[in-house]
Amino acid sequence: MNYRYVINELRFHHQRTLVNILGIAIGIALFVSINAVSTAYQKAVSLPFKNLGADLVIQKPEKRAVDSAQTPASMRGIRLPFSNQLLPAEDLQKLVSLDGVASVGSSLLLWEFDNNGFRTIMGVDLSQPSLGPIKVKEWLKDGRFPEREGEVVLEKHFAKFHRTALGNTMRIGGRPFTVVGLLEIKEGSQIASANMYLPLSDAQNLSEGAQGVNIVYLRLQNPSFLDKVKSRIGRELPGVSVTSSDSFLEVMGGVSKISDQFTLLTSLIALAGAIFLIIKTMLGNLVARSSEIGILKAVGWTERDVQKQLMAEALLQSFAGGFVGVIAGYTISYCLGFLSIPVSTPWQINLTPAFAKDAATATTGAVRLPVSISAALTGIALLLSLVAGALASYFMARRTARMKPADILRKM
Amino acid sequence: MGLIVAEDITKDYQAGEVTLRALNRVTFEIEPASFVSFVGPSGSGKTTLLNLIGCLDKPTEGTLKVADTDVLSLNRKQSASFRGENIGFIFQDFNLIPVLTVYENIEYPLLMVQNIPSREREERVMKLLGAVDMLEQKNKYPDQISGGQKQRVAVARALVTNPRLVLADEPTANLDSKTAYMIIELMKKMRDEFETTFIFSTHDQKIVGEAEIIYTLEDGELKDRQVKGGANG
Repeated sequence: MNYRYVINELRFHHQRTLVNILGIAIGIALFVSINAVSTAYQKAVSLPFKNLGADLVIQKPEKRAVDSAQTPASMRGIRLPFSNQLLPAEDLQKLVSLDGVASVGSSLLLWEFDNNGFRTIMGVDLSQPSLGPIKVKEWLKDGRFPEREGEVVLEKHFAKFHRTALGNTMRIGGRPFTVVGLLEIKEGSQIASANMYLPLSDAQNLSEGAQGVNIVYLRLQNPSFLDKVKSRIGRELPGVSVTSSDSFLEVMGGVSKISDQFTLLTSLIALAGAIFLIIKTMLGNLVARSSEIGILKAVGWTERDVQKQLMAEALLQSFAGGFVGVIAGYTISYCLGFLSIPVSTPWQINLTPAFAKDAATATTGAVRLPVSISAALTGIALLLSLVAGALASYFMARRTARMKPADILRKM
Repeated sequence: MGLIVAEDITKDYQAGEVTLRALNRVTFEIEPASFVSFVGPSGSGKTTLLNLIGCLDKPTEGTLKVADTDVLSLNRKQSASFRGENIGFIFQDFNLIPVLTVYENIEYPLLMVQNIPSREREERVMKLLGAVDMLEQKNKYPDQISGGQKQRVAVARALVTNPRLVLADEPTANLDSKTAYMIIELMKKMRDEFETTFIFSTHDQKIVGEAEIIYTLEDGELKDRQVKGGANG
C-alpha cells in the first residue's frame, strides 16, 4: 500500500472524500445520539426508583381508586389515601421471603385535610436506612432527620409557604411535632415526595387504627430479576399493584416508549443508510477510476495491491466519518441534555389526591435528561464505522477483481 | 533466441453470440534491444497484439514466449509480477495518476512491484527524470504540465523498473507532430541507453518511418515485415 497515494487521493478529491465522511458521520451521529437519548430516557424514568434505592414499589389499590377523581364522602382530618389500602403483615412476610428480593422497606402515606387545603405525610421506616423514603434524608438542607417520635422534617418549599422554621412546632392531626430538619426533594423523586416526613410509628399513631403500611419498597438482588419477581408477586399476592421504572415508560408514551430493540433498529437503519451511501459513492468512484486501476494492474500491481489501496482509502474515510460522527453525536446529545422532560407518575403511586388543586403538577416531575455517551457506545460507533469501511472495501474488491486491465485499456 | 517469440497466435473475442477474430495465426520473433513498430488501420489487431505481448490478455490459440517465459502458463498474479519485472507500458492518453506528482508517478511502480530500498528508488527516479528532461517539473502534478511532458513522464515511468521490454500503444496519437517526433527520439535514446526493446503501435505514417522493424497488420493478420536498411520478410 502506498500511503502517500492514499492521502493524496483523498486530499485531491476532497469533495468526494467529504461526502463519504459526512455520509458515515451522519449515520454514526444518529446512531450515537439515538442510543444516548434512549438510554437517557431509561435513566430518567428510573431516577425515582434509584433515588429511593428501590427496584419495585408495591401497593394495594382500592377498587374505587380506578375512579380516583371521585370525591370521597369524608374529607376532614387525617386519612389514608384513597388510592391504596393497608398491606397486611402476612403480605409483607410473603414479599420478604420472595426469591430475588434483597431487602424490603415500607412507609405509611397519609393525607391530612383541613381548612387550608391538604398536605401529605410520609411515615418513614427508620429501621431501613437505605431503602424507601428515608433516603430523602440525604437531601437535607438544614437540621437533621427525625430520630424519635414527635419530630418531623418538612419539605423546604412547604415550610417556606407555611412560614415554619427549624425548631418550630407544627401541629399534625392536632398533635405537636418539632421541626428538626428541612429538605429539598431531588428531581425525579415524586414517588417519595411529601410535605412532611416523620417516624413510621408517629404516622401509624396519627392514623387511628392504621397499624400497617401502605407502600412497600423492594430492592432486588439483581435488576435482571425484575420481571421474574413481578410475576411471582402477581401470583402470590393477587390484587396488589407493582410499579417499576417500566410503569413510568408506559404512562409517558412518545419517545420514552422506545424500547432497546427499537432504538437499536432505528439507529442501525440510520447506519445502514450511511453505509449504503458510502458503498454507492465509492463504487461510483471506482467506475470513474477504472482507467487508473487498469494502469496500476498493467504496471504490475496485483489485485491484492489495488484492493489494499482502495481498502485503505475506504477505511480511512469511514474511520474519519466515525470520529466526526461520534463528536457530532456527542454534541447533539450534550445539547439534548439541557432539555427537561416531564416524568409522569403512574396513578398507582400518585401521592396526591387526584381532585387536589395541583394534582397534575404534583404527579409530573421535570427531569433533566441525563444524557451521556459511554466509552462502550463510542467504541461500538467507531467499530461500526470501520465495519462500514470494510463492507465498502469488500464490494470494491469484488468489483475490481472483475476489472481486467486489457478490457479497461481497450476501452480507453 | 528472440526476446519475444510468437507462433500462430490467434485471439477471438465473444460479442454476444458472435465470435470476432482479432488476430489470426500471427507469427513473429523480436530480438532484444529492437525498436519495433506495429502499423495498421484501426481494428487491425495492433492493441490486441500488444496486450498479448504485455501479458494483459491471453491468446485463444498459439504459443507466446516473452523473455524466455511461456506467458500462457502464468496465472493472474504471476502475470502481474511478470509485467512488473519485465514490461513497461506507455499509453496514448499518458494515464498518469492525477493525484501524484511527476516524481511520484515515476516512483509508484517501484513501490508495489519491486521491493527496492528508498535510496536506490530515488536514484533511479532522478536519473530518469534527468534522462527525459523533466527534473524541473518533478514536483508538478499532471494537470500542470503539457501533453508532451506527460508522455515523457510516461516514458520514464515505463523504464523505472528496468524492464526488458516497453510496449507503447499509439504513444504519439495525442501529440502534435513536433512533440511526437521528440517522444520517438526520446524512446530511441532510452533504447540506446538502457538497451530496452521498444515496441510501439501507430497508424501515423510519418512516425512509422522512425522504427527499425515495421510489422504491418491488416484484419488481424500479419501482412508485412520491413527492416530499415534491410530486406523485407
